[in-house]
Amino acid sequence: MTHTALIIAAALAVPAAPRAVEAAQPVNDAQIASIVVTANQVDIDAGKLASERAAKPEVKKFGELMVTDHTGVNKAAVDLATKLKVTPQDNPTSQSLKAGGDKNVAHLKTLKGAAFDKAYVDQEVAYHTAVLDAVDKTLIPNASNAELKALLVKVRPAFVAHLEHAKQIQATLGGAH
Amino acid sequence: MNPGWRRDAVAAVWVAAVAGAGWTGTALAARAPSKAKPATHTVTIDATSYAPARLTVHPGDTVVWVNKDLIPHTATAKGGGFDSKVLAAGASFRFTVKAKAGIDYACLFHPTMKGRIDVE
Repeated sequence: MTHTALIIAAALAVPAAPRAVEAAQPVNDAQIASIVVTANQVDIDAGKLASERAAKPEVKKFGELMVTDHTGVNKAAVDLATKLKVTPQDNPTSQSLKAGGDKNVAHLKTLKGAAFDKAYVDQEVAYHTAVLDAVDKTLIPNASNAELKALLVKVRPAFVAHLEHAKQIQATLGGAH
Repeated sequence: MNPGWRRDAVAAVWVAAVAGAGWTGTALAARAPSKAKPATHTVTIDATSYAPARLTVHPGDTVVWVNKDLIPHTATAKGGGFDSKVLAAGASFRFTVKAKAGIDYACLFHPTMKGRIDVE
């Protein structure tokens, strides 16, 4: 838990993010549900901004893809939580995700053109790397409900594809400067 | 193995088997493998991958991609041939194979998704 919060906070480059210092404890399913929903929402928010502001068409399209895919994953997560009668429970990881996401969007709003594209894509690479790390080290190992674990396993390859896609775009942006 | 050779070998076995059964030449022609009824193959899209990722079909066969994932995907042939366009969750796409040439395809949205159809 502490580990996840720190990694994601670091990836989001948020100096003010709460550094969870309480004793590490395994996350429960209600907390995992909250982390999943928050993580998706953070990427949807950034994707919406990119779909409106990105200069390069491929960055704009990537932003649209993030909105579509993470909305699809979130719908499945919310449907499952409802079915299992699990109420997502706020926790330090979901809080730092939310704070980091808000800060990132605020920062991106100050940028334009190529600077926006680069900052957004760099952030997407870092974010998906951190989320995958959390999925592998914290969320999947701690999920106790079989359906929740199965959902995480099912969506993981999409995050890998997003990371790969973001890296491909990042390489083309690097060459443009 | 050369697919053409294998096909000839299969045909030879057919001839031997059918001749052994005492069938006529007319029946033989009607039963030739090239006249086999076209088959339908299903490729399931789930967890951002194609299953099976590699499929062997014959000309005239139909391949159906069914998206059982939570997010949209495509099945798009490299260098043309077919393109499912956006396949929403639950949607499917059919393509009937005509040419005897292998086709590599991928998802336009997710570069990690790759598939291939071998045609023999």
